[in-house]
Amino acid sequence: MKLRDVTIRAGRSLKQAKARTLLTSLAIGVGAFTITLSLAAGVGGRAYTDEIVNANTNVKELSVTKSPPKSQQGPQKYTGNASGVSGGLFSGELLDQADIDKILKLDGVVSVSPNYNPQVKYVTRSDQDKYVATISTFSPSVTLKFAAGSVNGDLASNEIILTEEYVKALGFSSSQDAIGKTVNIVADKLSSPVTAPENNTFVYTVKGVSSKSGLAFRAQSSLLISNSSAKTLYDYINLGTRSYGNYIVASVETTSASQAQKVKDTLTGMGYLAQTAADVLGVINTFINVLQGVLLGFGALAVLTSVFGIINTQYISVLERTQQIGLMKALGMRRRDVGRLFKLEAAWIGLLGGSIGTGLAVILGTIANPIISKALDIGNISLIVFTPMNIAVVIVGLVIVSVSSGILPARKAAKLNPIEALRTE
Amino acid sequence: MIEVKKISKTYGKGDNAFRVLDNINFTVPDGASVAILGKSGSGKSTLMHVMSGLDKPDSGEIIIDGKNILQLNQKDIDKFRSTKMSFIFQSFFVQAKENCYDNVSLPLEIADVAPSRRKSKIETALKAVDLLDKIKSRAKDLSGGQKQRLAVARAIVNSPQVLFADEPTGNLDSVTGGKVEDLLFDYNKKNNVTLIVVTHDAELADRCDMQIHIKDGKIDSIREMKK
Repeated sequence: MKLRDVTIRAGRSLKQAKARTLLTSLAIGVGAFTITLSLAAGVGGRAYTDEIVNANTNVKELSVTKSPPKSQQGPQKYTGNASGVSGGLFSGELLDQADIDKILKLDGVVSVSPNYNPQVKYVTRSDQDKYVATISTFSPSVTLKFAAGSVNGDLASNEIILTEEYVKALGFSSSQDAIGKTVNIVADKLSSPVTAPENNTFVYTVKGVSSKSGLAFRAQSSLLISNSSAKTLYDYINLGTRSYGNYIVASVETTSASQAQKVKDTLTGMGYLAQTAADVLGVINTFINVLQGVLLGFGALAVLTSVFGIINTQYISVLERTQQIGLMKALGMRRRDVGRLFKLEAAWIGLLGGSIGTGLAVILGTIANPIISKALDIGNISLIVFTPMNIAVVIVGLVIVSVSSGILPARKAAKLNPIEALRTE
Repeated sequence: MIEVKKISKTYGKGDNAFRVLDNINFTVPDGASVAILGKSGSGKSTLMHVMSGLDKPDSGEIIIDGKNILQLNQKDIDKFRSTKMSFIFQSFFVQAKENCYDNVSLPLEIADVAPSRRKSKIETALKAVDLLDKIKSRAKDLSGGQKQRLAVARAIVNSPQVLFADEPTGNLDSVTGGKVEDLLFDYNKKNNVTLIVVTHDAELADRCDMQIHIKDGKIDSIREMKK
């Protein structure tokens, strides 16, 4: 019997048991749905983190810290350089000027800039309330989305980038209104005596207003000033204290992305902990992969359940159609073809279930995408991305699984003795 | 020509052994109609199964066209059945949910007849049993007599050499049964096809060229009917 005829007969038998076929397919469909969505979320998630990391980091850049001490039992030895800055949160060693000079001498290193992150008191404007603020360093390599104004190259020493939230809080009528106006940042000198506290007001001109973007998470809450302004602030606040001249992290700029990797290896050899943009991406992607793996696991479980469904359905089908099988064998249908008939029926079930599941996943994913993006406030970035390849793999995979599930019932059908099957009593 | 030589078959073993066929010998000329008669349990159905290669005897030979079909491998027996034999059963065994066309198409598909050549064969067969107008009807919508005529169409569609009929009128009343009998004997005579009918209906047997009476697995008598 020709494969074409067997395939048509298999399809026709299924059509004759529509409800049963549909229900069995739906079981597979649940698996297909879950697997398709988890694959799509994986693709979308990785693409998203890729964009985030590219927008917020520079591939030529490394962030360097000192290696934490080798884990050892009991109290650690005093090295004279332990952190006194963040207490329990950060107990590693800090980078000092000697470290920075050492790193600067390495091949391929263009610049080393410590991350100052000055702890200011508040930000304000004349006749306005005072607000707590975090100050970060502006980096030309990081993508920002501007609500108003713009920056070419680096910021000048007295310029600042506000966020939209501070524009409202500081009493500007609009983002555009803020451009060119000044804001005051007040900082305490930490080394001044408690009895005679000393503070200073630093004045900055608003150069731009950053708006929320799905990518630029770094810029969403911090006010940005240039590296040199940050150093000025930092020096004023910390000069004369024990933590002055000690930094948790330093950014190292190299000549190229491949050079960044080489410098990283050298730094690791020297006892520093260095991370490239690729490392950061790797860490986030590992997280996404684990999540995706869990989802895929659920999908696989659903498929496993449906396997038993198919086996059961096909066994019942063989029992119900004993006479039909007997007749076909009496008419000279070969055992192989009888087996094929039932395996192909299973294949049709797999194809139907796979198509229903992936189809629903695509429809739901397409509908949900803008809703998710809006809820997470990431602009028009899609977190669920369907690729034709993934969909094809899911459907083909499920057809193969279904055919495998159909093997046992098909064998039972093929082995059926036609004389027994055609006995009328 | 079908030669049945020294066919014996036993079911069970030891004390429970039951000899269902015991040294059966006879010859059927091409184009003859043969009735195999006997009470139920006499072994007549088993004899038909053995002659069509569905069942294997313990010993003996079935020679059709000079070939001992009992020595063929399964694949060749299947091919033999699909191209040279066909069957009609007491309970019709038509596929209730399929239409007449697909029912009749089955033996052609099994015998690997090219799709382009099927339609005319199917229509010819349905016309022969007077069911051409029901070609799109589902088998379950047919009456008993129509179902058996459909089974006849399915049996003759691939122009077999030997037609086996197991109690073909057993489930039909005498009028519809008579119609089916007429169809079978007409086909037998017109196309010189060997017809082997297993029955205990004496009237049906009387229309055959040859009657083989089976009793307790042995041939009781063979009668050639003079016409």
